[in-house]
Amino acid sequence: MSLNNLTLLTGRTINQGIALEGGKTTKENVRAAAICTFDKSDFKELDCMVGTPVKVTTDYGEVVVYSTITEEGPHPGIIFIPMGPWANQVVNPDTQATGTPTYKGMKAKVEVMKGGKVLDALQLIGQLKEG
Amino acid sequence: MATRKIKTVYDVVCPFCGTLCDDLEVDVEIATDKVVEVRNACQIGTAKYYSSNPSPHRYEKPMIRKDGKLTEASWDEAIEKAADILTAAKRPLLYGFSSTECEAQGKGVELAEILGSILDNTASVCHGPTLLAEQDVGVPTSTLGEYKNRADLVIFWGSNPVHAHPRHLGRYSEFIRGYFRKDGRNDRYVVVVDPRNTHTAQIADMWINVNPNEDYELMNAIRAVLRGIDLDDENVAGVPKDKIYELVDLVKKCNYGVIFFGMGLTQTLSHHRNIDTAVCMTRELNDHTKFLITPMRGHYNVSGANTVFTWNTGYAYSIDFSRGYPRYNPGEFSSVPLLMNDEVDASLIVASDPASNFPQDSVRNMFKHPLIAIEPHETPTSAFADVVLPAAIAGIECDGTAYRMDHVPLRLRKVKDAPGECLTDKEILERLIKKVKEKLGEK
Repeated sequence: MSLNNLTLLTGRTINQGIALEGGKTTKENVRAAAICTFDKSDFKELDCMVGTPVKVTTDYGEVVVYSTITEEGPHPGIIFIPMGPWANQVVNPDTQATGTPTYKGMKAKVEVMKGGKVLDALQLIGQLKEG
Repeated sequence: MATRKIKTVYDVVCPFCGTLCDDLEVDVEIATDKVVEVRNACQIGTAKYYSSNPSPHRYEKPMIRKDGKLTEASWDEAIEKAADILTAAKRPLLYGFSSTECEAQGKGVELAEILGSILDNTASVCHGPTLLAEQDVGVPTSTLGEYKNRADLVIFWGSNPVHAHPRHLGRYSEFIRGYFRKDGRNDRYVVVVDPRNTHTAQIADMWINVNPNEDYELMNAIRAVLRGIDLDDENVAGVPKDKIYELVDLVKKCNYGVIFFGMGLTQTLSHHRNIDTAVCMTRELNDHTKFLITPMRGHYNVSGANTVFTWNTGYAYSIDFSRGYPRYNPGEFSSVPLLMNDEVDASLIVASDPASNFPQDSVRNMFKHPLIAIEPHETPTSAFADVVLPAAIAGIECDGTAYRMDHVPLRLRKVKDAPGECLTDKEILERLIKKVKEKLGEK
C-alpha cells in the first residue's frame, strides 16, 4: 500500500499541454496534470485500482494526485507527474546557483489514499495564498 | 439553409512551442469572429487557437482586487493601481515575456530600466542552464532546415518531442524528406537517451536507458571512448559498456549528426554542467564527422525574449537594474532564488503563470506581496493577482515577431480581433511606462 525509494521525474505531456491551453482552472487540467504514473511492476505492489488517489511525498513537500500506469515504460523505480501546480508542490527548489530549480530526480515515497481528495489548480494554489 | 461566411488565414505561425510551425490555416467565422477550424497544427496548437474564443475563463475587462474580490475596473483605474504598486515597491520583479512578441518584450526591458527592477524570462526555469553553458563554451549549431536536409543521425537527449514539440519530428527531425535525405525516416537513425521509454523512444531506432541525474557521467564516458580509452566499469549511469561502444561507433560513422536536448539535461542535478559537457562532446565529435547541437526551446518566443533582452542589456535573463545599470547573476537574480529568499516585494507577470510553474515555497512568497498579471486567461497566477490587465493573445489577436528555437525570426499573424477591452501586451506596457514615468516625475 506504500512504496519508498522511488525517483520522481516531472515533465511535459501532450494532454497537459492541451489542457493548459484549454483552461488552467478546468477539470481537464486536473485529469491531465494531477496524476502520477507508475511502472506496471511498481503499481502491482501498490495494490490498488487505477485512479485511486495517492500521496506523493518528497523532502520538499507532499501532494495528493490520481495514480495511473505509465504508457512510457518500463521504468521501474521511477514515477512521473506532468509539469504543473501538482508536480511543483514536491519539486526541489534548489537551483545550485543556476537559477533553475531541480524539477527532476527527487527521492519520493508514495502512499495509497483511498478516498483522498485531489484538489483542483485553484484550490491547491489557494492554499499557498492563505498559508 | 443559411451559409456561414468564413475567412481563411493561410501561412499562420503557431504561437505555442519553439518549433514555431509556419504552415497553419485558420478558419474564422466572420459574423462571430470565432475560430472554427485549425488545419495543420498539432493538438496543443489547435487548442490554443480555440482558447481565443469566448469562454468563462477569458478576461475581457481589467480587474482590480477590492475587498478580497477581483472586480471589473476601467483601464485608467487599473493602470493607475498597477503603476502605484510598481513605483511603491523597493525590489519589483518583471517576469514572463516568453509567450508574447518581441516588441512587447522590448517594452518590458524599458519598464524594468525605469523602475530599477529585476527583469527575468521563463528561460530561468527551463533553458537558463543552456544559456550559461553557451556563454562558457559556445555552441556548434545550425538552423532546423539544415538538419532536415542533411542529418542522418538524430539524438534526442532528455527531450520528448512527441509530447512537447509534437510537429518537430514531422517537420524537421525524423519523418520529413530532406534534400539529401530523400527517403525521410528510412534515411535517418534516431537515438533517444532518457530514463523513461518515452513515446519518442518507442518510435526511435535505439533507446539508451540512462539513470536519472546521471547524464553527465554518461556523456563523459562517451567522450572517453571517443578518445580511445577503454571503460573500466561494466556499466556507466545504468548503461551497459557495450551499448556505449555501439553508440560511439554509430556517431563516428554518420555523415551529419545532431543532438536535440531538453529539460532532461537542464532541470536535473549538474544543470549547466550537463550542457557544457554535451557541447564539448559535440565539438569533439567534429573530429570524426559533422555534429551539431540544438536546445529544444519550450515557449514559442523564449528565444526571442533572450535575444531582445540581450541586445538591450547584454544579458539573456536574470537581469538586475537596481543599481541603474544591468547586472547579471543567475544564481542570485533569477526569479526562483529571489522569491525563495523573499526579496521581491511586488511582481508584474507578463504572459506567464509562475504560480503553476514555480516550486511551492517561491509561490507562497510571491503571494505575500502585490501581484499584477498581464494575461488573457484565468490562471492560478492571475486568479490571486491584485490587478489583472487583459491581453490580446499574440499570434492570434495581434501580430508581432517571434524567434524559433534555432533563432530564426518569423512574423506572427493576426487572425481575429481580441474580445472586449483587451489590449496587446505592447500597448499595456506602453501605458504602464507612461504612468510610471508620470509618477516618478520623469519625462
